[in-house]
Amino acid sequence: MRKIMIFLIAMMFATPVYAIDGNELLKKVDRNLNPDSYESYKKLINIEPNGKKKEFILFTVKKGKDKVAAIFISPASEKGRSTLRLGENMWLYIPNVGKPIRITSLQSVVGGVFNNSDILRLDYSSEYNVEKMEDIGDEYILHLKAKTKTVAYDKLKMWVNKEKLVPVRIECLTETFMLVKTIYYKNVTDFGGGIMRPAVIETDSPLYKGYKSVMIFAKMKARELNDEVFTITFMPNLDSLR
Amino acid sequence: MKSIKFLTLILLLVPFLAFAQDDYSFDLSEFEKEMEKKPYSVGGYLEFMPKIFRLDHDAAFYKLNFYNRPEKDYLDEYDLKLSMKGGYEKGISRVYIRSSINTTESDIKSRTDVTIDEGYLSVKPSSIFNISIGKKALKWGKGYAWNPVAFIGRSKNPDDPDLALEGYIMASADYIKSFSGPLQTISVTPVVIPVYEHVNSEFGERNNTNYAGKLYLLLYDTDLDFMFLKGNSKPSRFGADFSRNITSNFEIHGEFAYIDDITKKTIDSAGNKTETTCDVKSYLLGIRYLAESDTTFICEYYRNGTGFTGEEIEGFFNLVDNGYNSYVSSSDETLLKKAKTMTEGSYGRQNPMRDYMYLRITQKEPFDILYFTPSITCIYNINDKSYSLSPEILYTGITNLELRLKAGFLTGSDNSEFGEKQNDYRIEFRARYYFDAANLFD
Repeated sequence: MRKIMIFLIAMMFATPVYAIDGNELLKKVDRNLNPDSYESYKKLINIEPNGKKKEFILFTVKKGKDKVAAIFISPASEKGRSTLRLGENMWLYIPNVGKPIRITSLQSVVGGVFNNSDILRLDYSSEYNVEKMEDIGDEYILHLKAKTKTVAYDKLKMWVNKEKLVPVRIECLTETFMLVKTIYYKNVTDFGGGIMRPAVIETDSPLYKGYKSVMIFAKMKARELNDEVFTITFMPNLDSLR
Repeated sequence: MKSIKFLTLILLLVPFLAFAQDDYSFDLSEFEKEMEKKPYSVGGYLEFMPKIFRLDHDAAFYKLNFYNRPEKDYLDEYDLKLSMKGGYEKGISRVYIRSSINTTESDIKSRTDVTIDEGYLSVKPSSIFNISIGKKALKWGKGYAWNPVAFIGRSKNPDDPDLALEGYIMASADYIKSFSGPLQTISVTPVVIPVYEHVNSEFGERNNTNYAGKLYLLLYDTDLDFMFLKGNSKPSRFGADFSRNITSNFEIHGEFAYIDDITKKTIDSAGNKTETTCDVKSYLLGIRYLAESDTTFICEYYRNGTGFTGEEIEGFFNLVDNGYNSYVSSSDETLLKKAKTMTEGSYGRQNPMRDYMYLRITQKEPFDILYFTPSITCIYNINDKSYSLSPEILYTGITNLELRLKAGFLTGSDNSEFGEKQNDYRIEFRARYYFDAANLFD
């Protein structure tokens, strides 16, 4: 009886310890993907089944857990558009329209497979808890669950490279485990300043059969930014940070 | 005219001239070049928009605009527009200009307008403060189709609310402060608008300096604005607006404006003008909802406090009818000319009555067709039950080219707003090509 009690007590503590390890690992993955506060350029390429492409270039800044902003610098039709994310609040500023409007994380300002939350990505650990972690040799598999209902995907299944502690592949799932999209992290690159991360992210989706979207990162570097940069009043001026 | 029609045909065919490109590959050196920031920017768009109108011979606005012209069933119109914008940045200063050249050709008019829509100098010593002087378009309000709190902006067209507007000459500043906690942001925008003979003369009464301001708060994840306009060019007014996401795919917004001592001019069926002065309230409530099917619904209710009652607008329509009958029987234009003086900014403005509903449904990329967006928009006049219905399709699949085909059907009984518009329906096609000319200056 005593042995059973000891075993049960040990089991009660075992699960939380496992979860804490997973969450700590997720925080390390976040820091390896980008510094806490940084600037970067991204090229987005939407590829249609017939090979036709459409490209966009954005300048992005991020600060802390919940602040990220981006401005389109190309093509000409999108130039000057900016997006801002503060936690789950998102706005889009279109120069012609002349004022920021609220948008949702599930929409896409560029069309294609990437939605707004993919483009204005916050730290995974700020939106998800690790429910389960598996060790499969060269990789860990993290099973993530959204902290709130407002997060774009309810569950993520993340394969993490053990050596570099960066994601290799992420499956984005609904509450009912339906696959929404798969994100592939490729081409681990040294950006300087201690930033070593995948420079290319590809995504496809069973909802968009034959379509593919690619995000290429460049010139990522740590940067101190004022909180005031992440306000809707500053959105028309985001380009001045470049 | 034939060459314009041929150009229209070619542009209509462009979406079907599909072309394949290489599969995904990228050139980092090209990317490096694209990321490079120049101190100057030059760009804009060239737009071609042919339209066809089916005219309504019984409508008041047809009679008012065509009474002295040969009778027509259809009216063709061709608009060609070049919109240019450019900027130059040095240190903390930036000069920006946006201008347009618009040429319209139709059987009844031929004209070219050159407009400086915006042109200002801004100085930004830090990310928390900037000041601007010059012509600038400030758009206040959270409404999509209407903005009763846009005290210092021009009225937008609810049928095409995303169009860029011309600004006013003003001095303005922004001060921003961020905090942690429920109040995340405060920003203050003071504005000074002079109105003189050659400066903002269309804003209101001349020889006055007007003061306006806006306080913005991001409080408990809600956008809140409080604004005012004080001066002698227009009646004083103050207002507020808000916008908030209830869930990640459901947003609500609203505006409220109070105008002190506004004078409303009306005209009756005999051509007698009346002026009444009163305080008015205008407000708007709206939602934006994104369904799982990627369908976006925007729905708004608008109470236009400055709008006409059914009786007031009926008086105007009857005046036009009486004037038209006088013209037909005795070539007497007196009443029609009286009616014409009351159209500009009054009976002839967009949505001149009191209560409206707006609904826009947009389906993103149906049938997995990327960059293809069909929409339908309805503006319903609650007071007289007339409405406009505008289906449209937008295609943006070719880089820098935007193609839109749109129709507008107007329905309403006699003496109703949409029933008395000049046309029964219109069909228009818009091809807009965006360009970035900064590289030409390398």
